[in-house]
Amino acid sequence: MKPAMRAVGIFLFALVAGCAELRKAPPSPIAQSEPQPSAPQVPEPQASEPQAAEPHVSEPQVLPPPVTTPPAAAAHAKAPPKVSVPSVAVQSQKNEKPVAVTKPLETPLDVAALQARLRDTKAIGVLTKLALKNQVDDLLKKFRAHYQSGQKTGVAALRQPYDMLVLKVLSLLQDTDPSLARTISASREAIWSILADREKFNSLT
Amino acid sequence: MIARTLAAALVIPFAALFAEPSPAADDVSLLKDLTSVIALLGLPCGQVVSAKRQADNDHLATCSNGNRYRVFVNAEGRVVAQKR
Repeated sequence: MKPAMRAVGIFLFALVAGCAELRKAPPSPIAQSEPQPSAPQVPEPQASEPQAAEPHVSEPQVLPPPVTTPPAAAAHAKAPPKVSVPSVAVQSQKNEKPVAVTKPLETPLDVAALQARLRDTKAIGVLTKLALKNQVDDLLKKFRAHYQSGQKTGVAALRQPYDMLVLKVLSLLQDTDPSLARTISASREAIWSILADREKFNSLT
Repeated sequence: MIARTLAAALVIPFAALFAEPSPAADDVSLLKDLTSVIALLGLPCGQVVSAKRQADNDHLATCSNGNRYRVFVNAEGRVVAQKR
């Protein structure tokens, strides 16, 4: 009986120890939530610098990368007393996001490069690329017909098919080539400005 | 001796299973491609579950909703999906 009692005792002890381990888990969510208070620390310098710099709307998006590094360093300095590993992971994610936002803004629209990237991407199959090209050609034909007809009305009617086509491309790319999808999404208005302008359109095609 | 035979009996079927992964991968990418094409053309399909190659750029696709389409590139260079 005694060995059986011992075994039961050991089993119960292991169970209690297991529960004790589970109760230790909550500190990690707290550690994950700790960066959240630090999150307001990041925007504060961002908000202050654009105000100090200029009232432009686009500049706050361009400024973050240089601004985000000092708060990250400051947060690193604050991190050691806390649990360091989760906070570093969250901060690295924060550092990545502003860089991804700034890239499309820094690069001007390069239609040829976009075409090449679309042609080379493996995210879209050959047949799908061909079908997309057919639809792009169809849309360009509509623009050409509109401009050749001599109508003085705008091309607003073609905006919806254009948006639909862009959405189709984005839906094809967003999972497998997100960077290209982001670039196209960021270039949407720039491409439209070319299509909607008769002279730019004629010079391009 | 028995152990060797047993090992061979286990290894050979596994080797046969993993010997040809690339055609399956090609199939998957082709099925995805056909699914995208049919969706892009605005035709009801769901997902292409199987495809039979008839010629270059000419496939007979079977959809998850039961529809079958012949997806091919016509003489004008357009991708067409014809319902069968």
